Amino acid sequence: MKVNKLTKLGLLTCLALIIFIVELRLPDVVPVPGVKLGLANIITVYCIYTFTPAETAMMLFSRILLGALFSGNLMALWYSIAGGALCFAGMVLLRRAADEKNMWFLSVIGAVLHNIGQITVAMIVLKSKAVLGYLPVLLISGCIAGLFTGICAQLVTGRLNSRRKNKSAEK
Amino acid sequence: MRKTTLLSTALICLAMLSSCGDKPEVPAGDPNTKSSGSVFAMDTYMTVTAYGDDREAGVSAATEEMTRLEKLWSVTDEQSEIYAVNHAGGGSTAVSGETAELLEFALDMHEATGGALDISLYPVLRAWGFTTGEYRVPDEEEIASLLEKTGAEKISLGDNTVTLPEDMEIDLGAVAKGCAGDKAVAALKEQGVECAILDLGGNIQTLGETKPDGTKWKIGIRDPYGEGSAATLETGEGAVITSGGYERYFEQDGKVYKHILDPKTGRPAESGLASATAIGDEGRYCDALSTSLYVLGAEGAEELWRKRGDFDMVLICEDGSFVITEGIEQSFQLTVPAELKVLRK
Amino acid sequence: MTGRKIFILITAGLLAVSAVWCVYLAMRPAGEEIVISQDGKELYRIDLSRTPYRTIEVEYKGRKNVIEIKDGEVRMTHADCPDHICIETGKLRPDTPIVCLPNRLVIEYAGGGLDGTAR
Repeated sequence: MKVNKLTKLGLLTCLALIIFIVELRLPDVVPVPGVKLGLANIITVYCIYTFTPAETAMMLFSRILLGALFSGNLMALWYSIAGGALCFAGMVLLRRAADEKNMWFLSVIGAVLHNIGQITVAMIVLKSKAVLGYLPVLLISGCIAGLFTGICAQLVTGRLNSRRKNKSAEK
Repeated sequence: MRKTTLLSTALICLAMLSSCGDKPEVPAGDPNTKSSGSVFAMDTYMTVTAYGDDREAGVSAATEEMTRLEKLWSVTDEQSEIYAVNHAGGGSTAVSGETAELLEFALDMHEATGGALDISLYPVLRAWGFTTGEYRVPDEEEIASLLEKTGAEKISLGDNTVTLPEDMEIDLGAVAKGCAGDKAVAALKEQGVECAILDLGGNIQTLGETKPDGTKWKIGIRDPYGEGSAATLETGEGAVITSGGYERYFEQDGKVYKHILDPKTGRPAESGLASATAIGDEGRYCDALSTSLYVLGAEGAEELWRKRGDFDMVLICEDGSFVITEGIEQSFQLTVPAELKVLRK
Repeated sequence: MTGRKIFILITAGLLAVSAVWCVYLAMRPAGEEIVISQDGKELYRIDLSRTPYRTIEVEYKGRKNVIEIKDGEVRMTHADCPDHICIETGKLRPDTPIVCLPNRLVIEYAGGGLDGTAR
């Protein structure tokens, strides 16, 4: 892997981690477990459109692992891994269908899949089907949060790419 | 233009997310009908629920009253009158009229119950660890020597003074909650409240013959062996107070030691009762009775009831059967299948 | 721009289905409510039938209690207090509140058919 790419991915992982930790510190807006903005998703969506799936996966899972470690909540790791994996798979598959102008859609699907993954693990861990009752609320919140992070990612990508174009034009 | 659309969509999303989900869990309760307030006092959780226009003033007056009485009667609070009495080193201590009155009542009950109620058991209770939670079984010798330091008859009451032999300690635990309930009810009345119910760590006391809707108060009696209540009782104004071994106990070497001690033996009372409930007009009377009835056992309790006749009771025996008195026969209902015996005069 | 329209349609559909599902769940008759209060102040009022799983952390003077709600059962799973009586109480019963005296925390069923239970 080129040093350039490695540096960029490392930097992005750090960024995602910081966002993740900062968001953890914010008070819960809605008293339902799992409802959150998922701001770190901005980085994931950006990566999907900028790097290969393998590279994105590296970034995402380092972030999840380190995030669980730093927050000291190892129980949450399984939820994050399941959610992250499902979210990642869905986004990679849909990447071809949605171009850069439709990043938001990818993000929505990603967020929704993330929540579905979490609920699935919750059902297994807690041996309780009742947890399914949270799904509709999580789906709605996933749609909205996904839309938000997707739009953020879209704006970020737009800026970064235009700067890159300017730079290459200067050269 | 496109960017503005994107940005505004993003902002709308943020706003939506912060308002989505379940309704916020703010304190509910219907303010039009009743108000509740709670305090931690006398080692337990006390709730006052009052109805009517003056309910809020009433609730705060009642909770203040209970906090005040706790400061007066606490065994552990160094500022309390009881603490002062216990640490007078054999001398006499001046106490307030309220304390003197309650002490006098407790001594009367000691006599009336043939010693089943004894407020001087504190040193023995401490030896068993029931006051601290560090449970242990004291040996016979230790109990015997501690019992020498007990005996409510050794307490002498003067004109608002108490004299306690050195080494003796008193603890109003068996009557203080009931008396605090009486005084809280009085405080409620003073504020103009006509209808209220108090739950003082399981002691139920009511103000008003019925609830505002005209129905009687429906009180459950805890099932010592299962979940929920074993029976229900419809009552008017008064007190329903239960004592049971299930409240606090510990197990050692396969034997269960319950927290209600028999003053005669200094060991957990083994009277064959799982719980005893006293129903009457006065909180302190029922509080004292429930402990005494539990210690006395079914036979002793029946004897006491026949002698005094100014209260009703529900005894739940260790074999699961129930004994009740005729005064509550009509309003009493079992919620578990059990044998029921009604005592008649 | 057809791709975009499809995407919007899918998202809207997803939202609509979840919303209907939400409403359906919310229409169920209210189940039993529990009240968690500290020092006499109500902190949470939770409908058990609509809360399949949730853990709640409550702090008191730097000490923490964790309450777990699962499948309609409520219990204290963690308490930074010396006696742990509240944990030993086990699951919440209709007549007996779970009380953590040192941390002044009380969990109890709201209402019920009885006005009170003598215990």
